[in-house]
Amino acid sequence: MVMKNANSALLAKNANYLQIDHRVKNVMGSKEVIVLPSPAAWEKFAWTRKYFEEKPKEGYFIWVRKQPSAPLSTCVTIASKKVSQNLRNLAVIEKGIKAQANVVCNALENNLCGRHFAKGKLILKDGVSLEYNHLHKWGQKDFVSPDYDFVLGKNTKLIYNYKNLFPPENLNLKTTIFAGENSNCILNFVVNGQNSKIEIKDSVFLEGENSNSIVRLRLVGKKKSQISAISKIIARAPSRGHLDCQGLLVDKFSKISLAPELVCENNKAQITHEASIGRISEEQLTYLRMRGLSEKEAIDLIISGFLEK
Amino acid sequence: MLKVKNLKAKVEEKEILKGVDLEIKRGEIQALLGPNGSGKSVLAQTISGNPKYKITKGEVFFLEKNITRLSPEKRVKLGIVSVWQTPPEIKGVKFSSLLEKISQKQTEAEKMDFSNFLERELNVGFSGGEKKISELLQVLALNPKLVIFDEIDSGLDIKKLQKVAKIIKKELVEKGVSILLITHWGQILEFLKPDWTSVMVDGKIICKAKDFRKVLKTINKYGYEKCKQCSAC
Repeated sequence: MVMKNANSALLAKNANYLQIDHRVKNVMGSKEVIVLPSPAAWEKFAWTRKYFEEKPKEGYFIWVRKQPSAPLSTCVTIASKKVSQNLRNLAVIEKGIKAQANVVCNALENNLCGRHFAKGKLILKDGVSLEYNHLHKWGQKDFVSPDYDFVLGKNTKLIYNYKNLFPPENLNLKTTIFAGENSNCILNFVVNGQNSKIEIKDSVFLEGENSNSIVRLRLVGKKKSQISAISKIIARAPSRGHLDCQGLLVDKFSKISLAPELVCENNKAQITHEASIGRISEEQLTYLRMRGLSEKEAIDLIISGFLEK
Repeated sequence: MLKVKNLKAKVEEKEILKGVDLEIKRGEIQALLGPNGSGKSVLAQTISGNPKYKITKGEVFFLEKNITRLSPEKRVKLGIVSVWQTPPEIKGVKFSSLLEKISQKQTEAEKMDFSNFLERELNVGFSGGEKKISELLQVLALNPKLVIFDEIDSGLDIKKLQKVAKIIKKELVEKGVSILLITHWGQILEFLKPDWTSVMVDGKIICKAKDFRKVLKTINKYGYEKCKQCSAC
């Protein structure tokens, strides 16, 4: 479902766009894919301004004009102490293209006290199919706030995998999907909270006829984490949607709040949800310990199973 | 190899084991019979170190080492592995992930043509027979010295029982692994022929005999309570 952590170094090396702190280290486009820092795109392509809304200071612009031969990749890293990034990212994928994007945002060390703000827009034109793998890996003192909009044209398909096994101290993750006619989107959010305050807000607007969406949240609360997730589907057209929110509370000092919300504005739409928050049972733990795993190994195995479910 | 001395254990203030003595030698097969609720499974779990059961008196020795207070995972490292009667479902965890973690060698599953198990979630939706096979595969992966089988024969038809018994014989008995077979209907004993058969009633072992057929005959004729007086002991 999602790329493995070990791949992040490789991704950074071969990234279409690599930024470390505020420095753009690599911009690698091709004849099919135009890659620019966002400020340069604002200057060069006037049409991008309606998406950026204001002149960006940093971030990346990716314009997939023709079918690319390899997956797209970006990497934005914090490597120094007390860096505050403020990114404006824009990706536009032209009609009928099938693409994969591997996007890494991370901190190189655990105690950099960095701030990472990212406001992004992804425009999927008609017939586009995109698998977007978004991998976060942060230090324990970072503050991270990504806010991404995905605009899905007719007959598009989006698989969005957000995975964060090393969350920052504070994470505000906002994701909004505008689903056009016949579009199909699957969102998977996997967050392993450890000593973190996490707020997740995802909203899917089913605006086009026959659009459909499945949203899966898998949230683990451990080591005094406070996790709050509001997951919402708003059906405005004859469409289908399902929310599947599950939490696993590992220690007694953590808290998970899950709020699935369904708003139906069309009487031909069908939207459903399921939500649950569970715990690791003593029986499961003992069983795995009787297979030779230590208590910690047993908990980790159960958590990894839960997150991959 | 295993010595249980005057073991008393309780769960939630209720005493279940009321002074159990048991000894199993290297390479020996012992059967333990008894009615439901007599404490057989509790004995198996207590020997394996399940923290749910509190030992109030007595001691457990394994390979001359006192393991009474040892954690379950350390007992596994020493070589004690138990097969659960009803293993819990663990959603999302693939059977293969567990086998990879616990096994140093290539899994026995492929060798025995159970590779279809590997990608399934652990015990989730397994039939009775599949659960037993899954347990057995885990046991083999752990390279045990003593295996406690808790009702390995329940829920198996005669054909599957034969298959399971064949694996136990080939992979464990012939390799000198000691076995404690807990059962209450005894059919598996015909396949594995225990060296000793004991009977447990109300938290105590009340009879130990060489000839399992005689014990079964007495139980069938007079019930478990009469075991003490039977000629087999």
